[in-house]
Amino acid sequence: MKKLLILFIALGFLSSCAVVKEYEKVNINDPDMALSDRAIKRFETNAQAYREAASGANGGKTGGGCGCN
Amino acid sequence: MKKTLSLLLCFTTLIAYCQDSIPSYKKRVLETIEIDFLTSYYSQDGDNAAVSGGIGTEELTDIASSIVVAIPLNDDDILKIDANVSAYTSASSSNVDPFDGDQPADPFVASTGASESDLWANGVISYSHSSDDRNKVWGAKVSVASEYDYFSIGFGGNYSYLFNQKNTELSVSANIFLDTWKLIYPSELRPGELFLNPPLDTDKRNSYSIGLGFSQILSKRAQASLSLDLVQQEGLLSTPFHRVYFADRDDIIVGNGFQLADDIERLPDSRFKVAIGGRFNYYLNEVFVLRSYYRYYTDNWGIDSHTASLEVPIKLGDKFTIYPSYRYYTQGAADYFNAANVALSTDEFYTSDYDLSAFNANQFGFGATYTDIFTKVKIFGYGIKSIDIKGSYYDRDTSLSYFMVSGGIKFVQD
Repeated sequence: MKKLLILFIALGFLSSCAVVKEYEKVNINDPDMALSDRAIKRFETNAQAYREAASGANGGKTGGGCGCN
Repeated sequence: MKKTLSLLLCFTTLIAYCQDSIPSYKKRVLETIEIDFLTSYYSQDGDNAAVSGGIGTEELTDIASSIVVAIPLNDDDILKIDANVSAYTSASSSNVDPFDGDQPADPFVASTGASESDLWANGVISYSHSSDDRNKVWGAKVSVASEYDYFSIGFGGNYSYLFNQKNTELSVSANIFLDTWKLIYPSELRPGELFLNPPLDTDKRNSYSIGLGFSQILSKRAQASLSLDLVQQEGLLSTPFHRVYFADRDDIIVGNGFQLADDIERLPDSRFKVAIGGRFNYYLNEVFVLRSYYRYYTDNWGIDSHTASLEVPIKLGDKFTIYPSYRYYTQGAADYFNAANVALSTDEFYTSDYDLSAFNANQFGFGATYTDIFTKVKIFGYGIKSIDIKGSYYDRDTSLSYFMVSGGIKFVQD
């Protein structure tokens, strides 16, 4: 838990080290750069939630709402 | 040194705050109605079905479809309706009752009874509101899911805060799922058959989760995110029709080698899960993008796992992109997992579900997308914004493998 806290504090510092202006975000706004899964990935994520013990931290199910883990 | 660092942090935060306070043009969060049609075909096989105690066919096919409609209610608010249906045929599920078909019971052959197929339906309605400066977003959702032996209702909420000229985002979410099982036991353990002792004392499963997220633009070409999910589950966390065979009981074999259950799987009524994941995306050049992901997972059932994946979108002109991908997954076994005929009847908890065993898995994928931001192709007043198709093959070292094809098409209202 302590390590996790240090990690989040370190990330807080990261937030002040780079400022990319809106007009400089052409590449960042590319659809392939999105920090989320593609819409059709939901089926893969769902299958993995059934077939693997781990879930969560990927935008998919964390448990509940299905007979999976 | 500490003082300098603190001053530096305060100063940077102040600058970020001042910059964010400058009023700017208010753009609609969503310009028009968007509709996604999504579908997939899934085919799986393996030799370790949990329904027949870790011995038997895992053959399963599933066809799923989703419609997601996002409706802008005004400049700031979006209503989203997400409807899903999934129809599957499962050889192992059919062997919950291996005697209701027209052939002898066989763990490697599907029975033709009622449990052979099922339909899962799910609906989610969500609402989100963005502040005038678009730096604060909050949302709420309600969900319902149903299949023959399972019903679930869920509630959730989320809040995001963007700052540092929208270079940084912090988010928090919370979800509750209240699930109810219909208790279906293996046919030989039902009342009037062999003795199930003791019967399950609850048919409820409640899941509570909290998620924290952080994302950061690192440069004009790179951005990253971190997410943390904490999940507490309580109630019936085992599956009522999963068989277990004990080492200290005589085997009773019927039909074509079908072993009758000694008991159903028994698992603790509480589970705490922690998952921490990170993404890093890098825009290499006008052709290549790198999308990477890593997750560490642990729970109090003794399972640790690592997931790593890499996807490389390759742009072929303005409209077409192909994206090969690879995913590696590894997990340790749950404390309660045993292969068939290994657990003892004196154990408190046991399962032969290979999804809870130790294994490594590789997944290879290949996808292609067509994107037209000007939506020149129209159907019934809606323009096609994108078309996406992907195939993937998953191979696990416990004999299970699957193949799936997914496709999607996004329309936007003119």
